[in-house]
Amino acid sequence: MFAAALRRISRKVICCSQGFWRPALVGLSPSARSYRGDAPDDSMKDVIEIPIPPWQERLDEPIENKRARLLYESRKRGMLENCILLSLFAKEYLSTMTEKQLSLYDRLINEPSNDWDIYYWATETKPTPPVFDNEIMNMLKEYTKNKNMEQRLRQPDLEYLFEEQK
Amino acid sequence: LTYVSDTSLKGKKVCRVGYFLFRSKQLPAVSQAVSRDFHFTIYGKKEKTSKVTDSLSTQYPVVDHEFDAVVVGAGGAGLRAAFGLSEAGFNTACVTKLFPTRSHTVAAQGGINAALGNMEDDDWRWHFYDTVKGSDWLGDQDAIHYMTEQAPAAVIELENYGMPFSRTEAGKIYQRAFGGQSLKFGKGGQAHRCCCVADRTGHSLLHTLYGRSLRYDTSYFVEYFALDLLMENGECRGVIALCMEDGSIHRLRAKNTVIATGGYGRTYFSCTSAHTSTGDGTAMVTRAGLPCQDLEFVQFHPTGIYGAGCLITEGCRGEGGILINSEGERFMERYAPVAKDLASRDVVSRAMTIEIREGRGCGPDKDHVYLQLHHLPPQQLATRLPGISETAMIFAGVDVTKEPIPVLPTVHYNMGGIPTNYKGQVITHDNGVDKVVPGLYACGEAASASVHGANRLGANSLLDLVVFGRACALSIAESNKPGETVPSIKPNAGEESVANLDRLRFANGSIRTSELRLNMQKAMQGHAAVFRTGSTLQEGCEKLSALYGHLDDLKTFDRGIVWNTDLVETLELQNLMLCALQTIYGAEARKESRGAHAREDFKVQRSTACFSIALASQSSLNVLKHWCKKKIFYGDNVYGTKVDLQYRPVIDKTLNEDECAAVPPAIRSY
Repeated sequence: MFAAALRRISRKVICCSQGFWRPALVGLSPSARSYRGDAPDDSMKDVIEIPIPPWQERLDEPIENKRARLLYESRKRGMLENCILLSLFAKEYLSTMTEKQLSLYDRLINEPSNDWDIYYWATETKPTPPVFDNEIMNMLKEYTKNKNMEQRLRQPDLEYLFEEQK
Repeated sequence: LTYVSDTSLKGKKVCRVGYFLFRSKQLPAVSQAVSRDFHFTIYGKKEKTSKVTDSLSTQYPVVDHEFDAVVVGAGGAGLRAAFGLSEAGFNTACVTKLFPTRSHTVAAQGGINAALGNMEDDDWRWHFYDTVKGSDWLGDQDAIHYMTEQAPAAVIELENYGMPFSRTEAGKIYQRAFGGQSLKFGKGGQAHRCCCVADRTGHSLLHTLYGRSLRYDTSYFVEYFALDLLMENGECRGVIALCMEDGSIHRLRAKNTVIATGGYGRTYFSCTSAHTSTGDGTAMVTRAGLPCQDLEFVQFHPTGIYGAGCLITEGCRGEGGILINSEGERFMERYAPVAKDLASRDVVSRAMTIEIREGRGCGPDKDHVYLQLHHLPPQQLATRLPGISETAMIFAGVDVTKEPIPVLPTVHYNMGGIPTNYKGQVITHDNGVDKVVPGLYACGEAASASVHGANRLGANSLLDLVVFGRACALSIAESNKPGETVPSIKPNAGEESVANLDRLRFANGSIRTSELRLNMQKAMQGHAAVFRTGSTLQEGCEKLSALYGHLDDLKTFDRGIVWNTDLVETLELQNLMLCALQTIYGAEARKESRGAHAREDFKVQRSTACFSIALASQSSLNVLKHWCKKKIFYGDNVYGTKVDLQYRPVIDKTLNEDECAAVPPAIRSY
């Protein structure tokens, strides 16, 4: 039974990871970003062949816990750019997101295993895979454009959560 | 088993911490395999805690676990150690505040150095030479010997585990050129030594190791915040951690503990690391009364976006970008009349810092300078510097075709950390002898083996993760067997940590966590950045000590226990503060310029006099005897501010002098 479960998991991972890399290969030449020495193409063999447990939505989570968790997960990212971008995005929108939007946002920030992908989709450097191409992604893309030309130098101080309630 | 703690706050106030202790039955290995799918919620803490707590606000349920080994941190180093231990049959836990693929290792796009010789003839001894030189002779040469010699094997191992390194047309691992890498002991020109997985080497490393480790039933405690080491009789017997999902406290008892918590870049205002690089392990070790080493060595990148920290590539200056001060002056012309804005990193960083110090900084606080690109044709910007306009717009709100970008020398890497030997064992230094701390290991950016010494070379950091993560696993396997008896801990072990957590959760003083954190970061940026001189450092030490005192007067907002980000960030601030304090005291005390530590008042290396005459004519004793010493810190217990300094000599012998001769010190020039 366990083996069967594992097989099921592997299959799932392969499906969703293909979703991740295909558009990337089509949409972007590897030299579009600047760092020293352009390496040959990425085979993505690890992502395809080494399954990690698929992301699972937490179905029985109370909505306020979900919001609190997503706040933490928006602030604690693998890379600086997403730390700032998502923490500010969360300040702007998390408190007013509907249950459905929360679940889309949860998937967006937790399912992709590479933080850079999320950043490239948000900045439209790479096309967003269909599974994440939804209203939340559109909100994030709009927010990322920084149309008001604000300085986004730090994560927001957490007090905003408590001061607004006063 | 229920009792109330009462002694840990030294009479400050009666402790409100109630403790529930219950021991989860140790699952045999077989049943663990079955429960692996549920490794985020194993040990069924939910149903158990709901039984025992009626008032979570004052009581913390405690769950005990027992493992052969526990790894703190799930970045490249932590995963490599956890994977190696599980593979060797050890029942291994990995505690991490972030899901493994969210570790900061993911940001590493560069690659891993290893002398595979796929692009030209290469020799690990040449890599060894470059690394010793890069470290400005502060690195331990036995550890550098070990790392560079093991590098090719470590990379091939990763390849065998499934990491899809980029390849040459002939099918070999492709290797690219990186700064600081040479052939033939610096005489053979640029080496091509850096192996990569396209532009996502860090991500691939995390994905490969995490995925692989699950095949061996590593138990992951994801989104658990490690609070402290469980130390008894000078031995490490595990860690105590907070589960953020439900606020339960977990004591993971283990015969061997590996710390792989990464750097402490967030002690500074402008820093390229993720906001999670808060030196948690470094601070845990400090609180355990153990030393840290060489914390004053902090690598800076000259042009990060002010405050945000996003890197603006040096290619900008290569394309014709110029740095200007508040008077609109192109100040690099004064510092480097020939090279101007193309001068080396050190020169540029120093010039920027002096401009700011002398009052010609930009912005309301006059604390940064501008990088101007708008004199360049927009098309050149778009084609030659892709990503820059977008980064500048997103974070600085700046249109690079019209306005300059605010920039500042930005913290990039921490060379110092928890001192270890080349096997990854944490050491102390008593009466001139290195002593191993039983049961405690460290690797990655948190550790100081030390292979980076006073400065780190590009693409050597991922190598450090892999080689020393692996070394920790190998050393544990060498002297332990799976399933051995795990040493016991006192029934109230970890009590102080819970008391501290409780105190912070209800803290109602006068300074907010975010406020104190920013004050600390600005003080560090102002006093211990690139421009270091006695008077500013002394001022900085006083400032930092005063700020440290404010930890007693914190105000937090969130009184909850489930996903309490405010609490976690306050715990992180405590950790950062310990790192900051030791960094600035170390910088003040190191009265020489070496590697990344440049003192305006001591511009030469302490040993430079030795090089004014030919080395051959000096006896080796003469060169080595008084040669640079390492700083070791003994931080006080949690709320003290005393920083003791002791010294430990650099290890200037390799593991085998016949196979690889030590590199004698020389003045560095590139």
